[in-house]
Amino acid sequence: MANSNLPRRIIKETQRLLSEPAPGISASPSEDNMRYFNVMILGPTQSPYEALHVEFSAANRLKLCGCMVQPHKALGSWRSPSTSSCGGVFKLELFLPEEYPMAAPKVRFLTKIYHPNIDKLGRICLDILKDKWSPALQIRTVLLSIQALLSAPNPDDPLSENIAKHWKTKEAEAVETAKEWTRLYASGA
Amino acid sequence: MTLGSGGSSVVVPRNFRLLEELERGEKGIGDGTVSYGMDDGDDIYMRSWTGTVIGPHNTVHEGRIYQLKLFCDKDYPEKPPSVRFHSRINITCVNHETGVVEPKKFALLANWQREYTMEDILTQLKKEMATPHNRKLVQPPEGTYF
Repeated sequence: MANSNLPRRIIKETQRLLSEPAPGISASPSEDNMRYFNVMILGPTQSPYEALHVEFSAANRLKLCGCMVQPHKALGSWRSPSTSSCGGVFKLELFLPEEYPMAAPKVRFLTKIYHPNIDKLGRICLDILKDKWSPALQIRTVLLSIQALLSAPNPDDPLSENIAKHWKTKEAEAVETAKEWTRLYASGA
Repeated sequence: MTLGSGGSSVVVPRNFRLLEELERGEKGIGDGTVSYGMDDGDDIYMRSWTGTVIGPHNTVHEGRIYQLKLFCDKDYPEKPPSVRFHSRINITCVNHETGVVEPKKFALLANWQREYTMEDILTQLKKEMATPHNRKLVQPPEGTYF
């Protein structure tokens, strides 16, 4: 195992992430690399990435939602037993480089997403992941910031030029596309 | 991976490793005689790559532009990528029919280590073109492909 020298700070952060997960965020280290996390973020409500909740009744399941309704293991704790999410579950991966916490974690989306600050490879344009990183920040704060970025796309500092242009010229249409992509790719199935 | 070793035990996972290689490739490497880029900008797993090697001076390869395909599977970089020439070339480590770089005849692939990169492969292939047994071999016409 490559984890014997894991700094205490990372162990502490990991324990807290697991014992007190932030709402709508789950992060768990992979078994063979404790610096490499599987992350899921629920799209914030009132954003185009929103996770739509529907009643968990057989009739509604068929009528309203074509998604998988089997509770996903990692998401089980987020849901009341009567609801199921349809869209809005975003998978990410996060890696703590050797220099962490002096250098920022590396994070990217694995789920396709239509957002002006996220590119086709899931790379994220966010100041705290680059020049505004501070060792006072943590994995938790990074993931909360990414969740907030979903609520507040910033087309003035784009990573995807085309999407940013779309957002600035025809915002309503861009938002529709983002919703469509959420439905298509972020079903969490 | 060793337990409690004094050295670095940080393992960069596949995807982040490939993102690093992508960024390095985009910036441009050294004198530009080797380069590479991703084939499909939509492939989140970054599997298919095209590499380019410009034939070294004072060899029959001088000035030729060789295109190669590199494929990084899920087990990269634990395992080497598969590498084959797209441009026709006659050197000992390349299969004459398929263009595949044969690991048995190319030590970098045979003795692969996780730290090695696609850049290392391309640089080593360029050196291979300049070795005494390869530098004067008769070459197929320029601009032909496997």
